Amino acid sequence: MLNQIATIIADGILLGLIYAIAGVGLSLVLGVMGIVNVAHSAFLMLGSFFAFELFRRLAIDPTISFFLAFPVFFAVGVIVYRMLITRVELAPQTQGLVAMFGLMVLVESLGTIAWTTDTRVITAAYTNRSILVGPIMLANVKLIAGALALLLIIAFWAFLRYTLTGRAIRAMGQNRFAAMTVGINVQALSTIMFGLGIACAGSAGVTLGMVFPFSPNTQILWLAWAFLVVILGGLGNVANTLLAGLVVGLIQTGVAAFLPFDYVYLVLYVMLAVILVVRREGLSGAVHRWI
Amino acid sequence: MPVSAPRLEIANVIAGYTPGHPILRGVNLKAEPGHITVILGPNGAGKSTLLKVIFGFLTPEHGAVRLAGSDLSNLPPHQHIEHGIALLPQGRSVFPELSVLENIELGGWSMRSDRKRLREAVEAMFARYPHLRPLQHRVAGSLSGGQQRAVEIARMLVANPSVLLIDEPSAGLSPIVAHQVYQELVALKDEGRTVLLVDQDVRAAIAIADYVYVLNSGKNDIEGDRAAFEGDLGAMVRGWLGV
Amino acid sequence: MLSVFFLKSGERRGWRAWAGIGFWVAVLFALVLYGLIGTRLFFLSTLGTVFMYIVLTQAWNILGGYGGYLNFGMVTFFGTGAYTSAILFHYFGLSPFLTAPVAGLTAAIAGLLIGIPTLRLRGAYFALVTMIVTLAVQILALNLRYTQGALGIYMQPLGLSPLNVERLFYFLFLGLAVLVTLLVYAIERSNIGGALVAIREDEDAAEIIGVKTTEVKWVANAIACFIAGVVGGLYAQRIMYIEPTGTFSFDISLNTVLMAVIGGPGTWQGPLIGTPLVLLVADALRVTFTSEVNRAIFSVVVIIIALYIPGGVMGVLERWRRRGRETSANDVSAPERAA
Repeated sequence: MLNQIATIIADGILLGLIYAIAGVGLSLVLGVMGIVNVAHSAFLMLGSFFAFELFRRLAIDPTISFFLAFPVFFAVGVIVYRMLITRVELAPQTQGLVAMFGLMVLVESLGTIAWTTDTRVITAAYTNRSILVGPIMLANVKLIAGALALLLIIAFWAFLRYTLTGRAIRAMGQNRFAAMTVGINVQALSTIMFGLGIACAGSAGVTLGMVFPFSPNTQILWLAWAFLVVILGGLGNVANTLLAGLVVGLIQTGVAAFLPFDYVYLVLYVMLAVILVVRREGLSGAVHRWI
Repeated sequence: MPVSAPRLEIANVIAGYTPGHPILRGVNLKAEPGHITVILGPNGAGKSTLLKVIFGFLTPEHGAVRLAGSDLSNLPPHQHIEHGIALLPQGRSVFPELSVLENIELGGWSMRSDRKRLREAVEAMFARYPHLRPLQHRVAGSLSGGQQRAVEIARMLVANPSVLLIDEPSAGLSPIVAHQVYQELVALKDEGRTVLLVDQDVRAAIAIADYVYVLNSGKNDIEGDRAAFEGDLGAMVRGWLGV
Repeated sequence: MLSVFFLKSGERRGWRAWAGIGFWVAVLFALVLYGLIGTRLFFLSTLGTVFMYIVLTQAWNILGGYGGYLNFGMVTFFGTGAYTSAILFHYFGLSPFLTAPVAGLTAAIAGLLIGIPTLRLRGAYFALVTMIVTLAVQILALNLRYTQGALGIYMQPLGLSPLNVERLFYFLFLGLAVLVTLLVYAIERSNIGGALVAIREDEDAAEIIGVKTTEVKWVANAIACFIAGVVGGLYAQRIMYIEPTGTFSFDISLNTVLMAVIGGPGTWQGPLIGTPLVLLVADALRVTFTSEVNRAIFSVVVIIIALYIPGGVMGVLERWRRRGRETSANDVSAPERAA
C-alpha cells in the first residue's frame, strides 16, 4: 500500500515536470507579451514528430533530439514571430486570437498531411525498461524525460533571473513603456521571447513524445494540460509554473489510480473551472496589466 | 558630474494619433544646456504628446526634432538613450517585480556590451543616492512612492544622459518628496544637462525654470524667462489654468 | 425582457439598406421555390447543410461576432443537443421534433455552466476553455451508460422517401435560419447588441458607463447555446445515428468560426455570406484535395482575413460602400477600430 502511494507520487512528480515544461513557454509568451498562443500545443506536437522522425530515419535518440529541438524550434519561432505575431500584436485582441487559432489549425493540418492521424510512439532502447529505486518501480523513460524537463526549467529560470537579457524580458512584461525608455528594443526582445517560447515547446514536445503516444490531432489535449498548468501557476513565473506542473501531475496520477483514465480529463475541466473562478482577480489583473 | 549637453530644438512640429487630426499644430521651442525649460499648458494642450514626439513614440507629420542640429524625428524610442536623451515617464514606472538593483542596472541596458562600465555606472548611482543602497535587494514595487521615484531617477541617469525629458515629476508624491525631486532637477541642470520639464504644478515648475513655454491647443502661446512668469504674467497664467 | 429587442437605435436607412434587404428577401423566395420544386437529392441535401450551418454560425455570431468572445467549441452545445434528443428518443420514444426545445435548454444550461466561470475573465480564457471542454464532454459521452458510449444511438427512420426527408430538413433548417437571422438582426438593433459591441470595443469602458457586462455575456452565450442545442437535436434525427466522435467533432466548431470570420463577424449578413462560401468552396476543393489540405487552405485564409481584412466579406463591402459615399472627400478614410 505504502509502496503504491510512493509510486503514485514519484510518477506524478515525473509527469508533473513534463507538464510544467509544456506550460512554461505558453506562460512566458502570455505573461511577457500578452499573447495567448493557442498554437503552443501544435508546436509541442511538432516537437514530438521532430524526435519521431530523427529516431526513425537517423536513429537519433530522443535525448539528443531534445537538445537539437531547442535551436531548431527557436528558429521556427523567430520566423513565425516575424511573419505573423508582429501583425497579431497590432490587431485587436479578438482578431489576434482568431489568427492564432488559425495558426493552430494550420500546423495541425500540415501535421496530418505529413503524418496522417495515426497514433505514434517512440520506442527507444530504454522505453520499456524500469528501474527499482528503493521500493519504487520507475519507468526509465519517465526518469529521463523528467530529468530533461527539470534541466530546461532550471535553465529558463536561471536565464530570466540572472542574465541581463532575462531581466530585460521580465521588465518588458512588467512595464513595456518603461522598458522602451531605458533603451530596450521591445520588438527585438519579443522576437527572442517568442522564439524561446516555441523552442521550449519543441523540446517539451520531445519529452512528451517519449512518454505519451501522440498524433497530430491529439495536440488539443496537450493544450488543455499546458493551459491548466498556466492557469494554476499564473503568468510569466517559471517557479510557479513548475509547482503547478507538479500539482497537475500528482492529481493526474492520483485520480488515475482510482478512476478510469478517461475521467482524468473530466477532473481536469472541473479543476480548470474551479481555478478560473477562484483566481479570477489575480488573472484578470495580470491580463489587464499585460494585454 | 559635469556634462556637456547639446541643445534640443523643436521646429514647427505637427503631430497626432490620426492622420489629418493633429494634436500638435506647429510647436517651436528650444531647450538649452544647463537650463531647465518648462512647458506649461492646460489639459489637452499637447504637452505629453510633445514628449512622445521627442522620444520617438510618435513620428511627426511635419517638422523636426533636432539635437545639436541633427534631426531625430524618425529615431525609434529605444535608440534615444544612445543619443543621450532620457525620459522620466509620468506616474509610476519602476519594474515592480524586479529588485532595485535590477531596475537600476536595466537603466544601463544601452551599455550592456561593456559590463565593467555598466557595473561602475550602477555603483555611481548608489554613491549618488546612498539611501537606495540598503534597499538594493528589495523588490521595487514594495517601496514607498518617494523611494520608487528615486529608483526611477537613478535608472534614468545610469547611462549619463545629457538631455532629460521629465513628465509631471511630482504627481502623486507628498509635498516634501516633491520638493526633493525639484531640487534634484536643479542639481541635474547645474551639472550642465538640458532639462525639459512638463508639469501641471505651475508654481513649482516656474520656481525652478530658466525659461517657460506655454502651449495651448497644440500651439505656442506665450513664453518668457522666469522673471517674466514670476510677476503678473505668472498670476495670469495661474488664473487661466485654473490653479 | 423581450421589449429590449425592439428598441430601435434610431438610425435612418438609406436606399442601399433597403436594396440589401430586398436582395435577401429575393434569395429567400428563390430558395423556398427551389425547395418546393427541386428534385436533385444532392442539391437539397447540400443546401440543407448550408442552412444548418447558417443557424449555428448566427448563434456563434451573437457572442463571438458582436461581443468579441470567441467560442471555439460550438460543437459542445450542438452535440449536447443532439445527445439530449437521442437519449429522450431512445429511452422514452419521444421524437426529436418534439424534444428540440429541451435539447436547446440542456445546451443552454451547459453553456451557463461553462460561461459562469469563464465569462468573467477576458476573451482568451473563454476561447481556450470552450475548446477544451469539447474534449471533456466527448469523454463523458464515451463513458456514460446513458449515451451508450462508442456504440452510439440509432434514431427511428421517418418513413419518408430519402428525397422527402431531405426536403423536410431543407425547410426546417431554412425556417430556423430565417428565424435566427431575424433574431440576430433584432439583437443588433437592441440594447443587448449595443452592450455586446461596447464589450468588444472596450470592456472596461463599457463597465464604467454601467453596462452589466457579465450578465450580458451570460445571456448572449445562453441564447447561442440554446440555438446550437436545437440544431443538434434536429441533426440527430437527420443523420439517424449519433456517436461521440462524429457528433463532437472539432471540425464543426472550426467551421462555425471559419464561416463567421470569412463572412463578417458582428453583422447579421456575415453568416449568410460566409457559410455558403465556405461550404461550397470546400465542396469544390474536395474534388481535388483531401480534407486536410482543405483545412490547411482555410486556416491560411482565416489568418489572412483576421490580420489583413478585418470584417471579412462584409468588412470589404462596408469599406467599398463608405468609399463610394466619400468620393468627394480627399482625406484618408477613418481608420479601422484600433487595438
